[in-house]
Amino acid sequence: MAKIRRLVLDTLKPHEPNIIDLANVLSEIEGVAAVNISIYELDRMVENAKITIEGEDIPFSGVSDMIEEMGGTIHSIDEVVAGKKIIDDADTLQD
Amino acid sequence: MRSLLEAVSYLREYDKLANISEIARRYFAMNAFDGVLTIIGVLMGNFVAGVSDARIVLSTGLATSVAMGVSGLWGAYLTESAERKRDLDELSRVTLTDLTNTRIGRASRAAIFIVAIVDGLSPFLAALIVLIPFILAGSSEDLTWAYYTSLGLALLTLFSLGLFLGRISHGRMIVYGLKTVLAGVVSIVISFFLGVSG
Repeated sequence: MAKIRRLVLDTLKPHEPNIIDLANVLSEIEGVAAVNISIYELDRMVENAKITIEGEDIPFSGVSDMIEEMGGTIHSIDEVVAGKKIIDDADTLQD
Repeated sequence: MRSLLEAVSYLREYDKLANISEIARRYFAMNAFDGVLTIIGVLMGNFVAGVSDARIVLSTGLATSVAMGVSGLWGAYLTESAERKRDLDELSRVTLTDLTNTRIGRASRAAIFIVAIVDGLSPFLAALIVLIPFILAGSSEDLTWAYYTSLGLALLTLFSLGLFLGRISHGRMIVYGLKTVLAGVVSIVISFFLGVSG
């Protein structure tokens, strides 16, 4: 099975645990090399976070379990890169 | 050793998530204050009634301390459970997830437990400190010194609580100390005159 090398997730989470704690625990998962989290919408009790994860072999179930453990939910998987190397989406004429 | 460090690390995390230390600190100060003032009432009641048997003072004082401890424990457990359940339910509703078995849920349950323990122990221990002279008095016939020492200890405990509150508020500790002592003095004076006129 191909190894997942990049994941971009759209999540909804409570304000606490904050994104520093979330980034810390996600980066400790085996197979994860780097985590980037940014908040793009803030509500009274919750916030929407875009989580970008890169690594040699990202275990999706481990990542999703950890996000749930921290009180968050995955709304959608916005991007995934799998295989021997990371590639970005190719530009098309429409772009 | 490792599991102890892990437990401390979890407690720190739960504290951050559920704001445990701030609430426990508030309960501690409020209930220790209640405990000392209540025991001042018990002591003054015994004093103006002329009770000269240390065992009677001790048994009424201890029974009151235990009742305050149980009241604190139960009261805090029930109110904290209700409040925290409501908060967790609301957060679960907003995130569309059952948060019971997440870190937030566990932090919430830890908070209920810790706050209830603090709320129960603080009035009990504060009252117990005040009763120390009567524990030492044994079968002594003249209890005047025990009453005075106990009331002195009560005022000292109140003063310490005031200093603690002053330190938390970054205010003038002595002023806070004097304010809490004043509450004790007012309580002693009113109890004394109630006893004399009664």
